Amino acid sequence: TMGGGNKDLEVEFGGITADNVEQLRKLNAACFPVSYNENYYREVVKRQNDDLNKFAYWNGFVIGAVCTRVEPIPESTNNRSRLYIMTLGVLAAYRGRNVGTKLIGSILEYFESNRNVGELTTVDEIVLHVQTSNDDAIRFYTTRFGFEQGEMVENYYRRIDPPHCYVLSKKLR
Amino acid sequence: KPGDLALGRQPLPKKEADLFKTVVKHYEMKKYKKGIKLADTILKKFPNHGETLAMKGLTLNCLQKREDAHALVKKGLMNDMRSHVCWHVYGLLHRSDRNYNEAIKAYKQALKIDPENLQILRDLSLLQIQMRDLDGFAVTRHTILTLKPNTKMNWLSFAMAKYLTGDLRGAVSVIDIYLGTLTPGSPELERGFESSELAMYRNFVLARIPKNHMEALDHLEACKSVVVDEGAWLKGKAHHQLQLGMHKEAKETVLAMFRRGMTEDYAVHSAYMCCVLELDPESCERALVLKGTGTVATMIPLTSEQKQKVWASHKEELRPMMARSPAAQRVPLTLLEGDEFRKAIDAYCQKSLAKGVPSLGSDLSSLYLIVKNNLFVRALDPVDVASHPTYQLIVELVDGYLESLKKITKFSPDNENEQSPSSLLWTWYLRATLHQQVGEFSEALKLTELCLEHTPTAVDVYELQGSLLKGAGDIDAAAECLDKGRELDKQDRYINNLTTKYMLQANKNDIALQRISLFTRHEGNPEQNLFDMQCTWYELELAACFARKQEWGKCLKKYAAVVKHFDDFHEDQFDFHSYCIRKVTLRAYTDVLDFEDHLWGQPFYGVAAEGIINAYLAIFDTPATAMAEAEPDYASMTPAERKKAKAQARKKKKALEKKAMSQAEEAKKKNEDDQNGNKKKVASVVDDDPNGEALLKLDPLEEAKKYAARLVKYSPKRFSTWICQYDVSIRRGKVLMALQALLKANVLDPESSEIFTRIVEFSQKYPKVEGLHSTVKEVLTSESPALLEGKSLAEYVAKTTEHVRSDSLASLPMKIAVAEANIATQSQSVPEALSLVVDTGLKGRGVSTDSCRTALQLFKKYGDEAAEAKSEWIAKVKERYPLIASFE
Repeated sequence: TMGGGNKDLEVEFGGITADNVEQLRKLNAACFPVSYNENYYREVVKRQNDDLNKFAYWNGFVIGAVCTRVEPIPESTNNRSRLYIMTLGVLAAYRGRNVGTKLIGSILEYFESNRNVGELTTVDEIVLHVQTSNDDAIRFYTTRFGFEQGEMVENYYRRIDPPHCYVLSKKLR
Repeated sequence: KPGDLALGRQPLPKKEADLFKTVVKHYEMKKYKKGIKLADTILKKFPNHGETLAMKGLTLNCLQKREDAHALVKKGLMNDMRSHVCWHVYGLLHRSDRNYNEAIKAYKQALKIDPENLQILRDLSLLQIQMRDLDGFAVTRHTILTLKPNTKMNWLSFAMAKYLTGDLRGAVSVIDIYLGTLTPGSPELERGFESSELAMYRNFVLARIPKNHMEALDHLEACKSVVVDEGAWLKGKAHHQLQLGMHKEAKETVLAMFRRGMTEDYAVHSAYMCCVLELDPESCERALVLKGTGTVATMIPLTSEQKQKVWASHKEELRPMMARSPAAQRVPLTLLEGDEFRKAIDAYCQKSLAKGVPSLGSDLSSLYLIVKNNLFVRALDPVDVASHPTYQLIVELVDGYLESLKKITKFSPDNENEQSPSSLLWTWYLRATLHQQVGEFSEALKLTELCLEHTPTAVDVYELQGSLLKGAGDIDAAAECLDKGRELDKQDRYINNLTTKYMLQANKNDIALQRISLFTRHEGNPEQNLFDMQCTWYELELAACFARKQEWGKCLKKYAAVVKHFDDFHEDQFDFHSYCIRKVTLRAYTDVLDFEDHLWGQPFYGVAAEGIINAYLAIFDTPATAMAEAEPDYASMTPAERKKAKAQARKKKKALEKKAMSQAEEAKKKNEDDQNGNKKKVASVVDDDPNGEALLKLDPLEEAKKYAARLVKYSPKRFSTWICQYDVSIRRGKVLMALQALLKANVLDPESSEIFTRIVEFSQKYPKVEGLHSTVKEVLTSESPALLEGKSLAEYVAKTTEHVRSDSLASLPMKIAVAEANIATQSQSVPEALSLVVDTGLKGRGVSTDSCRTALQLFKKYGDEAAEAKSEWIAKVKERYPLIASFE
């Protein structure tokens, strides 16, 4: 498995804690044009949910991470909620080897096997925001996982160009 | 006689006598308060009864009332000098004070009165072995054995006594007599741990008898059926066979060891080579005790034929047995030559890089071997590494990997396997360590930057980058870098400790304490906790940090802590004297005794002792520095300045006092909290001299002398021991001891700059020492010319100068020393002498940012005369080490 060429990387998952959250900062700084504020990191650490927030390890090092949360659907009148993907990042050198697919896949698997348990019982969909120019990401979510491209939110981002984003979502029930 | 009772000698009446027995029992059961109550009951009636007074004292001693205890025990003894109990108790009290010689005397007094008292005999024997009174120990153990021959421990102790006193035959026959006392069928004669250990110990003793390997070998065969430690049995057998020159048989034994699974033990591979090469007994002896990855092939240069022979045998015989053994794959790297070597090292590197082995660079560096006095030594100096063919080969291979990986993600175009992304990371990492090995820090740092762009979460890269920055001369940046790496994983104790160490080296002892405190106990004082855990590396680094800051009191305090640890290590053996015999771990016990005998020769002790010596010498040389808060020189100030300075001093003093008071209060409060909180009585150790002021008040030369004497006794093969001994002796005016130290050091490392500097100093100083005894003068006149190789001082310096000038690889420290010597002996002008350093200093061995700084100090010392040389030197060094910090 060590040779590995352009094949899949057999990553392992691990939790994000107060002791290793600095690695999430390093990873995000390398992956995203925007920097996330302290609240985001605090929330991830505080929640300590290894099923919804996790690192992907390859050969001993963190090379990717996904952070999600369960949040109420804003317009919902009957207390329905959604899984919101806050960040999904894989270090550039390790891309094209299905690490992102495994991370999102693990979130969807977790939902499937716990769809009627705890906070997931009210979850109807999985959602994220993606910058309008990010064709790779849009293709990734739509072709691999069947997300649908929804409305465009104007001026969602403050410091990057274009500042607009799409909402991508997938019905889960 | 009625007087006897008043004097406390009379036997007690039945009732009190029974009470007394209970007092002893309570003492043994650690029920001290009850014991004291009962003793008081007896003393009410018989206030002078000696034995009761003594027992009460002994019991009080266990309740931390040392002074009352001593007074009572002494009173008891005076009242009844003819009681063995009183003497025994007196001995026990001294023993608890670790005052062993006094305790032995007391026990012996007790035994004069009651010569067959087994308890006292046993206590005496323990102290004798602890104090290494081996002859006394043997006598006592013999007495005990005669009194109680039906106890196994007594036989084993007596056998051990025989062995320790050098009577090896005697030890063997004691064991044999003991075995003869057993009835056939006894479990002691069956296969089992104790019988096995005893047999192996007997064999160990047999092999110690000169030229007795045949008997030892026969015995091994004979005892095979009881031995459970089969690995040691096989090792012993191979050892005996090799000593007897039975190479073929030895090889069979070695193969049996491999079959048992001992394939990763390089000593076994080394034994295998001894067999194949049919080496002489002396070489075999050395080859079997090598450490780490060392084997015959890395110990002595083998001929091509010899290497071929071992390789052929290895390939044919070992490979099929252990195809997956890492050791078996590494050993050929030390046997192969030419193209085969290239192929093997290529495969080894590729495999490790794909796997991600951070230590690969240092692993490979053990292959840079050079011949010195017909033995292999590791090339360590960048100059020697850079010119080593193995180094050059590895660099060539790794550069090839990098080129290929970037283009086609393979190690080479003809390689089948595409690599995962981490292979590139580890190849950069390895290339960076290769740069580091030859002092190319800037080049290495460029690569670690690439690594961090590639995988910013790789903790190992921060470690490497830190050590590169340190080598490049910027310890502050190095410590910062490690601290960043530490942030990545706060549960990683290793990088936390490494950060602590770097912080100390950067003189940031406050931050260092914060860092290491993350991993100490969370309650109490972390500094105290580190002391309790005997965290020697921390204390040594902290002491060195204080030494750099010239805070000598705190510095000595930390070194003294390390010395205390070693005293405790020595004390720790006490419990093993009876435990090991009882458990029959006799071989391990001899190891313990041996370790303890050489305890003060351990490297860490050496570092502490040298630190203490150098601190006291610094204090002696410039006494003013000892006073951290020395008064400023008011006399040289104008009245206005004086007023201002005094006001400042008052303010500072007040602030310090205030701080100390609030700290004391805080500590007190904390202590109370602790005690109230968990009810457990935390033994609150209050250090009443945290700044080591008491140590500063001692006579510096006397203290330095004490530690130098210890180094001379326990580390006579350490070069720096004799340098210390010289430095101390010359200051004490002990010219002969200084001379002896120089002669010893000169044998150990004649090429060292440190010895050269001191020979020059000595030759200038000793003729001026007055009041020497005529015999001393005679010895000096006859012995000291040897130091200068029979030349005059001027000739000697000139000859060394010539030698250093003509040797293109002469070391920078040597050039510095020669320049200083030329100036000191007025052989050359300052600029002329310094030109040696400026012109060629960076070209030879021993070049590091540290030695460059030493050179800079030299230029500064000679002020204006050296100004030009200094600025030239600074420019050159900065070109070589662009990152070097505060180098002005």
